[in-house]
Amino acid sequence: MANCSICGKQAVYIVKSGGLALCKKHFLEYFDRKVRRTIRKNKLFNKNDHIVIAVSGGKDSLSLLHYVVNLSRRAKMGWRITALTIDEGISGYRDYTIKRVKELSSTLGVELKIASFKEYFSYTLDEVVKISREKGLPYLPCTYCGVFRRYLLNKVSREIGGTVLATAHHLDDVVQTYLINIFSNNWSNIYKLTPSLTSIHKLFVRRVKPFYEVLEKETTLYAILNGLYPSERAECPYAPLSFRWQVRKVLNYLEESRPGLKYSTMRSLMEATSLKNVASSEAMTCRVCGEPSSHEVCKACQLRAELGLLEVRG
Amino acid sequence: MVEEAGGIRVRVREFGGGVREVSLRHGVSVSELIKSLGYIIEEYVVTVNGTIVTEDYLVNDGDEVVIYPVVSGG
Repeated sequence: MANCSICGKQAVYIVKSGGLALCKKHFLEYFDRKVRRTIRKNKLFNKNDHIVIAVSGGKDSLSLLHYVVNLSRRAKMGWRITALTIDEGISGYRDYTIKRVKELSSTLGVELKIASFKEYFSYTLDEVVKISREKGLPYLPCTYCGVFRRYLLNKVSREIGGTVLATAHHLDDVVQTYLINIFSNNWSNIYKLTPSLTSIHKLFVRRVKPFYEVLEKETTLYAILNGLYPSERAECPYAPLSFRWQVRKVLNYLEESRPGLKYSTMRSLMEATSLKNVASSEAMTCRVCGEPSSHEVCKACQLRAELGLLEVRG
Repeated sequence: MVEEAGGIRVRVREFGGGVREVSLRHGVSVSELIKSLGYIIEEYVVTVNGTIVTEDYLVNDGDEVVIYPVVSGG
């Protein structure tokens, strides 16, 4: 049994890359140092920011909400914090996770905004997936979910007056996305994989990732130690269908045999993004919906048009 | 194989899943236990008798082991 390298108490975590064992208290300090370093180094938050936190109700986003609210009380930067939940309309899954978001927001005394696909797009994700399958379209559910969710997170953050949108993407998420984009040779997406993403477009809300340098195992431990780990297991039924699911498995196998591999892949990404200093996104305006876009017609409108849910002329 | 008759027995519960009783030889670590179940230690946080332990922790006869998945979809 490992003992804490700092105080000698029973350890709850081993930092393999640093050869450190940490007890509960020193793990939480280590976690806090890491996240604050990311926030400070990348200037994620400014004084008097209205921080909108994207909260799905999973352990990572609940941890982010908990962390930022507690940091806000210590930092006294005049932040206003709002939790934003997107209800995609996935039966048997999202209802349960929304309940968890409501509970934590209420405990922390944070405003909560819930926006649904049904309300903004007239269809739930389940309905979209059904139409897509009937039409034989080549997209996985996660494609629709990811595009529509990102679209709404930006739009609704702006509508409620948010100055910055924080998501709970951690190091594992970022490294997985990096590899997925290498496999598809999509370098424009890789250059956007920075802790802070801005745009010259006035309708784009700056997007930040405070957990950028934190491992998924560490956010899980943070959640368990703070009583945030869900009491029941709720998993998106579509998640195992995604390519990301496979990449994540492979990465975890590799990390087990080569500890530190995720960190070195992250350093590779940082090297790549520093070569091309493009921490900006969506500089164009979608000619259909008027939202920020990387193309003449944004991806959300393109997908809706292919589903037959939106008419796009020209 | 870490499973062995005449050794120790522990109860393992995967969070949100079922419980199983596993027979092991003496001196088996949490890491070896997880591997013997076909899992990757990277993907779990483990408690023994309600306390979070590191992967080098040696399980004892009658221990209640709960494994919390790190990986979640959604």
